[in-house]
Amino acid sequence: MHKKHSKIRIFLSVAACRFTRFALRVLHRGGTTLPGRSAMFFDKTILEVVSRDMEIIVVTGTNGKTTTCSMLRHALASAKINVLSNLSGANLLTGITAEFTANASLLGHPKKHYAIVECDEGALRKVVPYLNPKCIIVTNLFRDQLDRYGEVMHTHDVIAKGIKLVPKTKLVLNADDSLTASLGENVPNPVEYYGINVPYGKQEMGEISDAKYCIHCGTEYKYNYHTYAHLGDFYCPKCGYKRQTPSIAVTAIDKIGAHGSVVTSSINGKETSLHVGLPALYNVYNALAAVTAFDAAGFNKKYILRSLSQETSSFGRMETFNYKNTDMQMILVKNPAGCNQSISYMTSLGEDYTGVFCLNDKTADGHDISWIWDADHEFVAEDPHCKHIFVWGTRSEDMQLRLKYAGVPEEMITRVETPQELIDACADAGRPTFILPNYTSMIELRAVLGEATGKKEFWKEQA
Amino acid sequence: MSEDILKNSQSLKICHLYPEVLNLYGDRGNIKCLSQRLAWRGIDCTVDQCHLGEKKDLSQYDIFFIGGGQDFEQEVLLADLKSGKGDEIKSAIADGKVFLCICGGYQMMGHYYETHDGVKCEFLGAVDFYTKGGDTRMIGNYAFECGVESGGSTIVGFENHSGKTYLGKDVSPLGTVLAGFGNNGEDHTEGIRYKNVFGTYSHGPVLPKNPAFADTLIKTALERKYGSFLLEPLSDKFEKAAHEKILQQVLSHTTSGD
Repeated sequence: MHKKHSKIRIFLSVAACRFTRFALRVLHRGGTTLPGRSAMFFDKTILEVVSRDMEIIVVTGTNGKTTTCSMLRHALASAKINVLSNLSGANLLTGITAEFTANASLLGHPKKHYAIVECDEGALRKVVPYLNPKCIIVTNLFRDQLDRYGEVMHTHDVIAKGIKLVPKTKLVLNADDSLTASLGENVPNPVEYYGINVPYGKQEMGEISDAKYCIHCGTEYKYNYHTYAHLGDFYCPKCGYKRQTPSIAVTAIDKIGAHGSVVTSSINGKETSLHVGLPALYNVYNALAAVTAFDAAGFNKKYILRSLSQETSSFGRMETFNYKNTDMQMILVKNPAGCNQSISYMTSLGEDYTGVFCLNDKTADGHDISWIWDADHEFVAEDPHCKHIFVWGTRSEDMQLRLKYAGVPEEMITRVETPQELIDACADAGRPTFILPNYTSMIELRAVLGEATGKKEFWKEQA
Repeated sequence: MSEDILKNSQSLKICHLYPEVLNLYGDRGNIKCLSQRLAWRGIDCTVDQCHLGEKKDLSQYDIFFIGGGQDFEQEVLLADLKSGKGDEIKSAIADGKVFLCICGGYQMMGHYYETHDGVKCEFLGAVDFYTKGGDTRMIGNYAFECGVESGGSTIVGFENHSGKTYLGKDVSPLGTVLAGFGNNGEDHTEGIRYKNVFGTYSHGPVLPKNPAFADTLIKTALERKYGSFLLEPLSDKFEKAAHEKILQQVLSHTTSGD
């Protein structure tokens, strides 16, 4: 063991982490920053100790981290493998440190052998040198929380820096995303690509693309087909940079429905039907990422192929609540790409509904909320099935303004002050309700909805 | 009835410059805002996009909009500006056309950008100012008050830049900073106003929640085209609510928490 990790420091670190975590839970709080900081106070690099010799899959990327982690966790659980994992709100160095430290013995030995770790894009390079993961998944790269990350190219570069620190780790990359796929070029790491080999949806790119120009030479990409946002079979007509052939791919889309999808996949050349128990195309991508990593990490694929069909929503992502006999489905949206996917899902179902948009600008959300103008709320305005819209959150005034300019009449929008008022108003309206909150508004709202409908608080959910 | 016919005879043409490159922060909200506010008043409006490499007669437009972009993509368009489009832009400015230039698009109107290791990147030089790379990022919600020549209204927005902009002698700022950084975080100036060029660091959708400023741009363009013009007021309930909310927060130096 490295000199800096003295036994007494390790002991104090684990004890401090466990104590603060216990204390927070007694106080009915689920925080992870304080336990992580306490652990790091006594041993700054405790994470290296408490994850030693574990087999770890790290998931990063703009959208789909939590869902992909949940798919992997459930697959391992179905094979009776006890797995360590962190929660979505704790995906920075402190949160990840807290999770591993709290689950180690007082001597700092890990109690579990496997871990699935969700990691913030910006934190990747701080985390992976300690975890030395077997595999890193990068789901996709979209513009997201600009005030925290700067631009999408910057996010790309910090992920590349993280990958550089672990040259032996296997990379699992989205072949259809030109930004993500380029992370697999010119690196010593073994790379596995996954992707969708067939077109889906409107074969045109939206007005806003996060990657319109070749990452290498600046020429506009051409596409043989699109799947969604800037994803698809891209190629650069000038320098020749193009989509890699994925080893695990969807070869036919049989059905994308409200309760799940059925697709035909080719897994290392073998054709298999794949059932995903979650709606929308982006969850097909998440499923592909999970299958590819599961395979790359050396697990038997049959477990994940089976568990994917049973997959239900994870925390705040397509989670459905029934409050006063009204179905309320919550879909976390944090950026234009995710928001557009959720809007296209909501407007594709063909039944009357109440739409809810929640917008906070707390630190965890980003203080800059201008991204709402890059999402296509116009499709909600044009949808005759959208009967009323409620808005809530610290920036609900901006949200209703966005909707007004999208073409929603002012009288169709009601701004409410509290989450309780919101769910009561939705229940009174009596229609199925789709709630699209951003991060902290989802956390607040879920607590209220969970309480009202008897669902557990998030930090209890894993136990 | 005759009044209606008269109304319909008025129209503005908007040109969105490089929308495929300069579109980082919800910029299209500004175009939506201008065209909606014209439509609500029964004034015709067409919006054209002018892309990289595209040849268009820029003299036909009344309002130009140029937004902010990623550094990576900004390089792509400098070459295009130098291929003749830049000169057309300069003559449109001389002609009194309205320009709204934001963030990267604002910086690009000046002489150059100098990085902190001394490398100069030549820009369009249409307006007398320059920008120097700084080492801290000036980021956050902020507010400033426009000069009377730019309508005198208070503007709230979000700034996110490390470049510090310094104005030449004959260029006025767009306004005076009430809270936040503005052009350089030093002299309390924000943006530029030169002829009918309005430049600002308030990125992305600055117009929707600053309806008075949006109307200043519209009025300036209409008056240039039709002589004096009385702009019909709009209710602006949602606009004012969004404006007030963030103005109060900025002036009291608070945030919405963690």
